[in-house]
Parts: sequence; C-alpha cells; structure tokens
Amino acid sequence: MIFSRGHLKAGFDSVRNAKLRSFWTMLGIIIGVAAVITVIGIGDGVKQQVAGQIHHLGNNFITIRPESLQTGSNVGNQAGLFSGLSVSGPMTVNDIATVATTHGVSQSAPLTLTPGTVRGPDGVYTHGSVIGTTPDLPSLINQSLANGNFFSSQNYGDNVAVLGQNTAQKLFKNTLPLGHSFTFHGQTFIVVGIFNQFTTTPLSGQVDFNNAIFIPNSVAENLTHNTAPTYEMFVRTALPSQTAAVSSQIRQRLNAEHGGQSGIAVLVGNQNIVANDNILSLLTTLVAGVAAISLLVGGIGIMNVMMVSVAERTHEIGIRKAVGATEMQILGQFMLEATMLSLSGGVLGIILAYIIDGVLHVTTNLQPVISWKVVVGVALVTFLIGLIFGTIPALKAARRNPIDALRTE
Amino acid sequence: MALIELQDVSKLYGFGDATTLALDEVTLTIEKGEFIAVMGPSGSGKSTLLNMIGLLDRPSHGQYHLEGKPVARLKPNVAAKIRRDKIGFIFQSYNLLPRLTALENVALPLGYKGVSLTKRLKMASQMLDRVGVQNREYYLPSQLSGGQAQCVTIARALVNNPRLIIADEPTGNLDSNSSRLVMELLSDIHKMGNTIIFVTHNPELTRFATRVIYMHDGSIIHDEKTAVGRVASTARKVLYTVPATSEEDDLAGVSVLMKALPDKPSAPPDTAAKPKTRRGRTARRKRGGKS
Repeated sequence: MIFSRGHLKAGFDSVRNAKLRSFWTMLGIIIGVAAVITVIGIGDGVKQQVAGQIHHLGNNFITIRPESLQTGSNVGNQAGLFSGLSVSGPMTVNDIATVATTHGVSQSAPLTLTPGTVRGPDGVYTHGSVIGTTPDLPSLINQSLANGNFFSSQNYGDNVAVLGQNTAQKLFKNTLPLGHSFTFHGQTFIVVGIFNQFTTTPLSGQVDFNNAIFIPNSVAENLTHNTAPTYEMFVRTALPSQTAAVSSQIRQRLNAEHGGQSGIAVLVGNQNIVANDNILSLLTTLVAGVAAISLLVGGIGIMNVMMVSVAERTHEIGIRKAVGATEMQILGQFMLEATMLSLSGGVLGIILAYIIDGVLHVTTNLQPVISWKVVVGVALVTFLIGLIFGTIPALKAARRNPIDALRTE
Repeated sequence: MALIELQDVSKLYGFGDATTLALDEVTLTIEKGEFIAVMGPSGSGKSTLLNMIGLLDRPSHGQYHLEGKPVARLKPNVAAKIRRDKIGFIFQSYNLLPRLTALENVALPLGYKGVSLTKRLKMASQMLDRVGVQNREYYLPSQLSGGQAQCVTIARALVNNPRLIIADEPTGNLDSNSSRLVMELLSDIHKMGNTIIFVTHNPELTRFATRVIYMHDGSIIHDEKTAVGRVASTARKVLYTVPATSEEDDLAGVSVLMKALPDKPSAPPDTAAKPKTRRGRTARRKRGGKS
C-alpha cells in the first residue's frame, strides 16, 4: 500500500502549508495546461464553424476548384499564356459553361478574379479584389444583402457591382454607395447592392468577401478578354440525392474536355472540411506542442521544489523512519505530494482555460470549443508529470539514512 | 533467551585519519523486563549504543541478536518493520511532527502498519488517555508543554505495544516535576513487563532502574544491578558529591561522573580518591577543589 489516507492528508497539509511556494511551482503547469486547452479549443472551434457553414450550405452543395492554383499577380499572366494548356491552371470560360450546363445543376456561380485598378471618388481601392460571378451567388451561399439588390438575369450584362461591407465603407467613406459609381478598366460601374457582413467565409479561399467587389462574370470576361482566372466555382444541385451523381458527371465532363486530366477538383459537402481540417490540425498540433513544452518545464519546476522540500524535511523523514516507515511508504508520501502539486496546477489551468475561453467568446469572433476529452487528457498528463518528476526527489527522501536524517534539524 | 545480545559490537564513523570509534567491542546482554539506565559523559557512545539496539544504525563489526534472531545486517526495510512492531523510541527533543496534532502523531506508527484511520485514531486516543494527556489530543506539538510533549512521545512509542522501549535522555529537556512524571510513567510501563533502556545524566533517576551501565569512550566500564528505589551506588557517589570539577575540567569537558568512578584509570587520582560529600564522613577531610 503506497498511498494511504494518511499520506493523502500529509500531502494536502504540505501543499497547503506552503501555499505561495506551491502556487509559484504550479504556475508553469497552470500556464501550460491553459495554453494547450485554449489552442486545441480554438482549433476545434474553427473546425466546428467550418462544419456548421457546410451544414448551413446544405448537402446538395458542390465546390469546384483547381487542384493546385498559383495565386498572386501572375495568376492572370499564367492564365493568359497557357490558357487551355496548363493542366492545373485556373478554370476557363469553357469549364464554367461545362459545369453550368451539366444536367442536374440548378445553380452555379464562378468566382473569377478580375485584375485591374478600381478608382473610386477618393482614389484607388487597394484593399480587395474584383470578383466576377453570376446572379446565383447570394442564394448559393445563403448570404443576404444589407442594401439594394444583387444583379439579376436582367442586368447581368450591365456594368453593375455589389460591394462587401468593408469595401462600401472604404471606397465611399461615409456616404451610402447605392447608385454611386467607380471606374474599373476605364468603364463606369454603378453600385446596386451591398452585402451584409460575411461572418465566416470558409469556401472563399484567400479572398475576403467583405473586402471584395462583385461584378457580373460576363462583364469581367469581356473586360479581360476571357483571361481572368476562375479560382473556384459553387454549384447547387436540384435534389440532394443527385449530388454524388452530378458531381461525378461534372468531373467526367471536365476530364473529357481536358483530354482525360482536368486538374480540377470537384468536392462535395464535407470534403471541403477535410481539406481545411488537415491544415488546421497540423497547425493546432504544432502550437499545442509548443504549449506542451511549457508543461514539461512546469514539471521540472515541480521536481526542483520537491528537491527543496525533501531537503527541508529531512528531520521529518528521520522521525517517520524511526517510527517504522518503510522506504516505499516515504516514497509514496513524496510522490503523492508531487502529483498533488501538478494535479492542482492542472485543475487551476483548466479553470484558467475556461476563463480565457469565455473572454475569447466575448471579445473576438473566435468560438473556441473545449471538449471534455481534451480536459480529461490534459488532467491525466499533469498527473503523469507529477508522478514522473516526483520520482527522483521521492527516491532521494526514501533512501535517507534514519540516523543522519534525525540528526539534522 | 535474552531479549538483546550484543557481541563485540563496534561502530566506526568516518574513514582514514578521521575515523572515530563510537563503540569499541561492546558485549552486552539484556534480559526481558529489565529497566536499564545508561550513564556516561558526552561522546561516550551512549546514543550510538541505543541507536544500534534500536536498529536505527548498523554495527560496523560484531553480532546483534534481538529475541534470538540476528539483526546486525538487516535490509533497511526489514529494520523499519522491526522498529515499527517491536521498538518504541522516546527522544530528548520529542521529535513530534510539528504539523500533526498530538493524536495524529501517536497514530503515526499504526498508519505505517496499515491500521485503518478510525481504528488507529481510537487506539491513539486510548494511549494518550493512558499517559494522561487525553485532553490535549487536538493540540499541535508547539502548543504543548515539554512534559506533555514527552508524554505524547511516550504514547507514540507505546502505541504499537513494543517489546522494547528506547529513551535517549527522555528528561533532558524537562524540569524536575515533569521529569518525575515522565519517569513514573516509564516505571509503570516497566511494571507491565516492557523492557526499557534509557540514557540519563541525572544520577537521581537511577532510582527507577534495575540496572545501570556506565560508558566511557565507547566501552562499558561499569555494569551494576540495583534495586528499584535506590540510587545506584556508583551514581550515588556523583550525586552526593559537591561539584568536583575544576574550571580546567569544565574546559576540557571532563564530567563529574568520570572523576567519581572508582576504577577510572584516566581520572586524576586526588579527586577520584577523595570525593567530597555533604556527609560528615568526608566533610572532615581536607577539601581539594573549589567548594
């Protein structure tokens, strides 16, 4: 019997009697535990948000995007030079038409990055991109407008534009931009609508919709002579049950068009999450790993304090041995004390993590999710840290010669 | 079968030039039921002898049989269990755990034996009652007087019902009233059949003992049986002698006892031969030292 109730009390007494020192010792563990739980919580939260978004979009939603896409300014050049040749370049006008005309597709919206300079009344707009798309976009991604209307099939070929929230504020400062105009490629565009704030845009890639300007895709293609790269396309099928069939249909048709290898991925529902998940998991693991190092450092702190405690309490060890404590019993006592220190730190760390979680919920739009599995896992790890780092000091205590120990004061 | 048999037991500390001989081939037999006082100057090996008998320390050489079993070369854990079950310790400085109450201190050895919490607290309470400090159960050692603390220590030593009680100067830190109380308590315990070995510097306390052992430089130089109630004859010489140490003696650390011993070879012959006493028999003699 290593751990008895007597030991438990002795351990509690000892931790309680050196409250301040115990707290400083536990600090490393507290910070480590709070950091690990928070980081994993943020990761899980983002994952759930993405999953929620996908769920929100429905299970008849298909995303089509090039398997690998060069981003940045040379996208346009590449598209211009190797249009139709590049295997994994952006989607072409033909691809868009192919997808849109596939049987079973009820709605489709390409996202075409249109290069060019936007000039508003207050100068050049540099914060976001111009995206060519179709009237289906708002209903496809369930996004409502704050003011005005999205362009419809009636004005699809006209020079009209819909702005993201931030764009509206930055391009036109204080005035409501409805009916106002800006210049793009030497042509005047009239603002007909403004989107509500996009809360999360898991499908928009690197483009922030809140900073974007949406123009009809046909206009965009005309302006750039069909060289503007389409980096993504959203598709909705008429019936959820058709989704798999339609997606494979689209895949086949695209492949046929590109001579067997389209280099374009057709993703259904949660396949989107999987792609996001991998990167996110890697990142979460990495940051949690760094936080775990602080746990390790905390463990070493506990070892040091236990060493001091053993040295300070040599006389007590002597008395205990004189009245008949065996080495195992002394070992158990000090191991338990170390374990209790680290476990208390773990509990305080978990509490701190919940507090941080609450603060993040209130002050940021991150929605961390703390799962009980992580909490239990971390508690277990702190228990193990106490056990492992308590061993060396406890062994030192257990091996004290009773006579020498009694002599020290 | 004797309870304790020491045969040519030696204990050396340190090594090389710094070697100290704490016990020098001590041979000693202690029967069950004896109440032994160990006397001798500081550094004469009394405590080492007690630690050896109490299995806190191992002899460097020699044989030790406790209840007929050889115990001189025991593993630490085996020794710990024998200490727990058969030996009770009483220390001069009490050695109570400061953060535990009197009751918990007494219950400590039972805990190591595996007795359940409620049972051991009950047994500890009974034991405190027996030594007369039950009303101090929930006091911390720092809140007890010296005499009470020593009673708690005695209760702790007795709680496992040991065969042997070892007391290293149990009255060393106590005033005369508390000393008497503690010695009477030990005496009661002795009457119940326990074997007690105690170290003392106070010759008066040999009244309680059945046997007195005198030590010097790691050897037993005198061993006498004595009747309970009488101060041992050798100790009496010290007791009834006006302090016979000179300033030089004090500086050199020579104790009265050393001078009083009849066959002490190293003691100066004049003081040893002519002990001054308060009695008329020797008062007539010419006084040698200071008065």
